[in-house]
Amino acid sequence: MIIRNPKDFWAGLMFLAFGLAFILFAAGTPAFLDPVLGSLRAPGYQMGSAVRMGPAYFPVVLGGLMAILGAIILLRGFASHLTGEAVRVHLPFNIVDLAVGIGVFALLLKYGGNLMLSADNAMLVAALAVSALSIKFRPNAKPLVLILAGCLAFAYTLKPLGLIGATLLLVFIGAFGGHEFKWKEVGILYVVLIIFSVLVFVKGLTLPFAICPAVIEDLCRF
Amino acid sequence: MEIIDNLALGFGVALSPFNLLMCLVGVLLGTLIGVLPGVGPVATIAMLLPITFNLNPIAALIMLAGIYYGAQYGGSTTAILVNLPGESSSVVTCLDGYQMARRGRAGPALATAAIGSFFAGCVATLIVAMFAPPLAEIALKFGPSEYFSLMVLGLVAAVVLAHGSLMKAIAMVILGLLLGLVGTDVNSGVLRFAFGVSELADGIGFVTVAMGMFGLAEIVANLEQKGHREVFTSKVGKLMPSKEDWKRIWAPILRGTFLGSALGILPGGGALLASFGAYTLEKKVSKNAHEFGKGAIEGVAAPEAANNAGAQTSFIPLLTLGIPSNAVMALMIGAMMIQGIAPGPQVMTERPQLFWGMIASMWLGNLMLVVLNLPLIGMWIKLLTVPYRILYPSILVFMAIGVFSLSNNPFDVFLMALFGLLGYVCVKLECEPAPMILGFILGPLMEENLRRAMLLSRGDPLVFFQKPISASFLIVSIILLVIIALPNLRKKREQVFVAET
Repeated sequence: MIIRNPKDFWAGLMFLAFGLAFILFAAGTPAFLDPVLGSLRAPGYQMGSAVRMGPAYFPVVLGGLMAILGAIILLRGFASHLTGEAVRVHLPFNIVDLAVGIGVFALLLKYGGNLMLSADNAMLVAALAVSALSIKFRPNAKPLVLILAGCLAFAYTLKPLGLIGATLLLVFIGAFGGHEFKWKEVGILYVVLIIFSVLVFVKGLTLPFAICPAVIEDLCRF
Repeated sequence: MEIIDNLALGFGVALSPFNLLMCLVGVLLGTLIGVLPGVGPVATIAMLLPITFNLNPIAALIMLAGIYYGAQYGGSTTAILVNLPGESSSVVTCLDGYQMARRGRAGPALATAAIGSFFAGCVATLIVAMFAPPLAEIALKFGPSEYFSLMVLGLVAAVVLAHGSLMKAIAMVILGLLLGLVGTDVNSGVLRFAFGVSELADGIGFVTVAMGMFGLAEIVANLEQKGHREVFTSKVGKLMPSKEDWKRIWAPILRGTFLGSALGILPGGGALLASFGAYTLEKKVSKNAHEFGKGAIEGVAAPEAANNAGAQTSFIPLLTLGIPSNAVMALMIGAMMIQGIAPGPQVMTERPQLFWGMIASMWLGNLMLVVLNLPLIGMWIKLLTVPYRILYPSILVFMAIGVFSLSNNPFDVFLMALFGLLGYVCVKLECEPAPMILGFILGPLMEENLRRAMLLSRGDPLVFFQKPISASFLIVSIILLVIIALPNLRKKREQVFVAET
């Protein structure tokens, strides 16, 4: 069988997987999957009846509907009359890359503690590792990966590094994901943004963010 | 006349200096983000939600509403001058507006858009004032089965209006419904789909999903396109449309206003649908149909009137039923809840000042927009020359700060990034995110009403067809689905979307 319409095929697969996952986690994962799922194993929720619906009822029905739709869409991927450019999937990564990316995050979160990494730092290292991998092996995925990694870097450094440090990471990593990267321009943009953010968000709207890195907090109290 | 008393009350509230200022801030911000491509009202309102904690409810809602309809004005400027939709509902304005600009008629195009929007805004305000009270009265009689069926209709409408494959759109709606269920189940207190993550106990924040699926995914998509922009900055010229133009635009503006108002009320509707609908209608009925796509002024007037009318009438389901018809309205619900107001038909009777004040502010806001925007057009044009490589890191910073501040937790930003990835993949696989967002908002509400309805009917699913109002909603939904699934119409629908995008 040839996949004639990869867009339908992958979309169908995605919906099928989501649908089955929701059914499994709502109704309870079967015992034979335990070794695969490990700590994700779920006992499931109460089904209830049509009169008194339990917490599993609605998700199982919807999950089933979505799985059926997903299967139909997936099968349509084999029987499409469309071919060529119209149905090509323009994703800059494939499913193996996606698995590698998720794997990096899962491994670092699970075993980061052994490397003296806190959970927050494990996230940060994972984001940077995936960015490095993408720059080296999947240059086309650079905008996507760096934008997302920049957000993660901001989130997980805001508490230790303050707004000044976290925004620095976000602006530079994010800007590096674009086509043109000029140090001077991005530097000026960063300075403008940090002044604006401190004035509007911290001083004006009194969001409880630290401004400076915790290490030198005393130096820049103003 | 009751309506005049009510409107007088509303203007009394809206004309207080502070509320006027908030209205002005809202419409200016709205125009600004409308002008800038890649920043939409959803992301902006989401970013501003934390601010509204400190405002009183009326001022907060007046400002947020101003952002939404202000964005409709701003979006047309970018569409006409740069051929980019500054705001998603101005996609169709690009077609003829940009062609007019290329022929040196940017000025009249901009003025037509503003005049059309203003007229539509006035009429839509009146429509909201006239139709909201009787609708709220009907809505007070709604039981769980009526609410459930109404939501089904809303979701079906969202599916029918989505681009591309019908089945993918339905699957996206269901995905949204399911994701909306994450968190503590209100009936049993069971924590669902949380995988031991304590941050998920309250569910996934709507702002997080919207920023990821729309904000982040859009930035990445923009960065991948390497097109260059041609801005007609110096060629705006004379603004006022000529006598000939006036003759050509009054009818399209009228038609656009009424079609837009009608489509805006539909659950799942709003500005975007309104502008598409109006353009298609105009193309059918206009004498100058052959000029469409080559700079026909009707092609600017009708959709611009329609999108502004739709933006305003989409407040009707929110204010009368408490049901959001699109992502912006969902955020408005969030803003009301922050203020301790439960959205629904009782808002009008319990808080008439809020209700009528907001309606009056819409008209005032429209007046401000038309008075301010034409003279300020030079400033907006300057903004357009800011390159995207400066713009997007700024948007990123504001989004990250906004999402982080929701609960002061990095996990929300992580979720936003995850939804950014999902949104990006969905767009690449031609699965539209808009129906998913609507499903996400309605998920918990739908489950709740389904449970109640089934409990009341002792498990008899036929109850949805036994009550007349509920049955009519469901029948309309079925008819819509059948019509759209017919091979003949499906082909036509695809053609319409191909032609318009």
